[in-house]
Amino acid sequence: MAENIKTANYDALVIGAGIAGGEAALNLANNGFSVLLVEKDLSIGGKMILLSKVFPTLDCAACITTPKMSEISRHHGITIFTGSEVQKVVKKSENSFEAVVIKQPRYVVEDDCTACQLCEQACPVVVKDQYQYNLVGRKAAFIPFSIASPRVAAIDIENCTLCGACEKVCPTKCIDFTMEAEEYHITAGAVIVATGFRLFDPLKIPRYGYGQYKNVLTSMEMERQLAPTRPFNTVLRPGDGKVPDKIAYVLCTGSRDATVGNPICSQICCMYSIKQAQLLMGSLPMADVTIYYINIRSFGKGFEEFYEQAKGMGVNFIKGKIGKITEKENGNLILRYEDINENKLKESEHDMVVLSVGVLPNTDAAGIFREQKLEFDHLNFVGQKDPLASPAETNIKGVFVAGTASGPMDIPDSILSAGAASSEAMRYLIRK
Amino acid sequence: MASINTGFSKELTKFGAFDFNACYNCGTCTAVCSLSTGEDSFPREMIRYSVLGLEDDIKASLKPWLCYYCGECTTHCPQEADPGELMMSLRRWLTSVYDWTGLSGLLYRSLTASIIAMTLTALAVIAYAVVTNFDLEKIMHTGHIFEMVVIGTVFTVILLPNLLRMWNFIILKPGIKVPFKNYVTGLRDLVVHMFTQKRTLGCDDSQVRWFEHLILVFGYLGLLFTTVFLNWFSSESTFVIVLGYVVSIIIFTVTVIFVSERIRKRREMSKKSQPSDWMFVVWLFMMGLSAFAVRLFIDLGILQNNIWLYLAHMIILVQWALVIVPFGKWTHFLYRSFAMYFDAIKKN
Repeated sequence: MAENIKTANYDALVIGAGIAGGEAALNLANNGFSVLLVEKDLSIGGKMILLSKVFPTLDCAACITTPKMSEISRHHGITIFTGSEVQKVVKKSENSFEAVVIKQPRYVVEDDCTACQLCEQACPVVVKDQYQYNLVGRKAAFIPFSIASPRVAAIDIENCTLCGACEKVCPTKCIDFTMEAEEYHITAGAVIVATGFRLFDPLKIPRYGYGQYKNVLTSMEMERQLAPTRPFNTVLRPGDGKVPDKIAYVLCTGSRDATVGNPICSQICCMYSIKQAQLLMGSLPMADVTIYYINIRSFGKGFEEFYEQAKGMGVNFIKGKIGKITEKENGNLILRYEDINENKLKESEHDMVVLSVGVLPNTDAAGIFREQKLEFDHLNFVGQKDPLASPAETNIKGVFVAGTASGPMDIPDSILSAGAASSEAMRYLIRK
Repeated sequence: MASINTGFSKELTKFGAFDFNACYNCGTCTAVCSLSTGEDSFPREMIRYSVLGLEDDIKASLKPWLCYYCGECTTHCPQEADPGELMMSLRRWLTSVYDWTGLSGLLYRSLTASIIAMTLTALAVIAYAVVTNFDLEKIMHTGHIFEMVVIGTVFTVILLPNLLRMWNFIILKPGIKVPFKNYVTGLRDLVVHMFTQKRTLGCDDSQVRWFEHLILVFGYLGLLFTTVFLNWFSSESTFVIVLGYVVSIIIFTVTVIFVSERIRKRREMSKKSQPSDWMFVVWLFMMGLSAFAVRLFIDLGILQNNIWLYLAHMIILVQWALVIVPFGKWTHFLYRSFAMYFDAIKKN
């Protein structure tokens, strides 16, 4: 591989192509700076592109993300590496960072693929579809999801049997199993870290029975069931495919909980749960939806009205955190909680339970900054040097942070944060 | 309208409570508690009362006594407010509230006071031995009389009035009307809970804990009965002698388990030990062991030359009977079972 090292030069390197990284890259490029946007996943768009709708406006998430993503893809000033990871970044001097980026082979020549999906039809291997949060299956030769960008097939080499069926049917002969990982040595004037967040894994709270009880799912799994590109075209409980009619939301699953190491509020769960509840009332008009909460934190613009709207639509709100969930033989779930307003221990039965999982830091960026290390805060989010005066600056001059890499926030705040990061980066780049 | 008393938090920390002000009222503790019911939901309510300092509501409540400290609430508390230890501290505090002499509170709050009490009682025994010129027979005779007198006195002068005060706080003051019939029918619950502690079996944790405790209770009551009523140390009957050996062995082996639990701190309930907790198990252990040794020395015929052993036993006994039983952790034997009694008569 060593002899194939490629070099390139950009004004800015943006790590992570979710809504924050994408927005930051777009701002920089629109102002005439050249940007390399590196995304670990096969598509840009991050988590937002997989969402159903956004709060508090109930705008379609895909309808906001997709045009933005196409703009990013088509922009002359932006080079996108998907399926790629930044291995290391070294600051050589002011306005000069050297980065090593590894581009993993997709086994499909991106420029030649027409997204005809014939390979997908021919592929005999079926595995769980991570983009549908394992609710359905996909092939080993696949297009990540229908609104992926780039909308290009990829071969999941770990599950591929190398049978060659896809190669035979591909009309443009763009499948190439001889592809290898490519190493790029990049020089850039500034770096923006937009590595986003991870979702809390509810397996860490065994008393909620996630992974054990089939009808307990995470909010992201529910999000997929409500999205326009949803797998079932309706909402079904996974255990037996029944359309649920009594759905419970368990707020603060893995947030504000010191026992799982995440003592802070995730800032988005109250609102996305209220949003999902409203969407459920739309898609399943006969269903009862109950949200169990500690406090409803509807602090943003239009949030309180959105909460009131949900109450008006008939969503039940019960103050009390769920302590324990048990499963009945028919797959229904018994939730045990204290009704705080009545000081009373209660149990209630639901046929589907959604765990509103919280936001955890993504620590992927931790190891990549060599020599001068990037500092993280006590919760492992990227440290902000001065959260009030200059929220995008990190401890390394010329390295900026955008979006949820610096802490939990919603989509509008992520976009604002990306705006701040990109303008700080521009100021840094111009000053040279 | 109750007024808030923020000073109560501070007062309660002297009885061992942790950072319960961290509570954000999510109710996880109540929801994971296997003894909590719709009718009696705890511990969150007790935390709320403690934060607000609603002393009268706490005094009128039996909930602290309905908790048997499995520790699930503490394990799962998202704010690490330690509800289990709060309930334990409320029981200590209530013990001091029920006690009309105020000595319980003093001993719970101050380790120095406990040490002084223990020293004074020890000195008194030694002084008495000096007065009798170390006459073993006389000391042993006094020891036996002392046991009987103290049992009667402590019960009538200290414990009975305290139980009446408990009754006052729980039934009389809150104005609960209880038909006389209930006082009679409830006796069944009193006896059952006093001798079986069966409520512990409702806890989700290991039932070994209940079994160990049950054996210890019977060992203790057995030793009390054998030494006081069967006069073990002077008895000639093989049955009584063997019985005494068995019950004293039970006491010091089971207390070793209890002490080692508190040292190893594996269970939530044994993680935080107050001096009163240590004193209770350690003195129980020493009492079992010293009683065993005294009888062994009698059987080997060497007690006469080892008066120190009987003196040691008597010091432990006097400290137990004058400090730990009336003013220390021993009282939970009564309060726990009377709490179940009051609970039963209130609900019937």
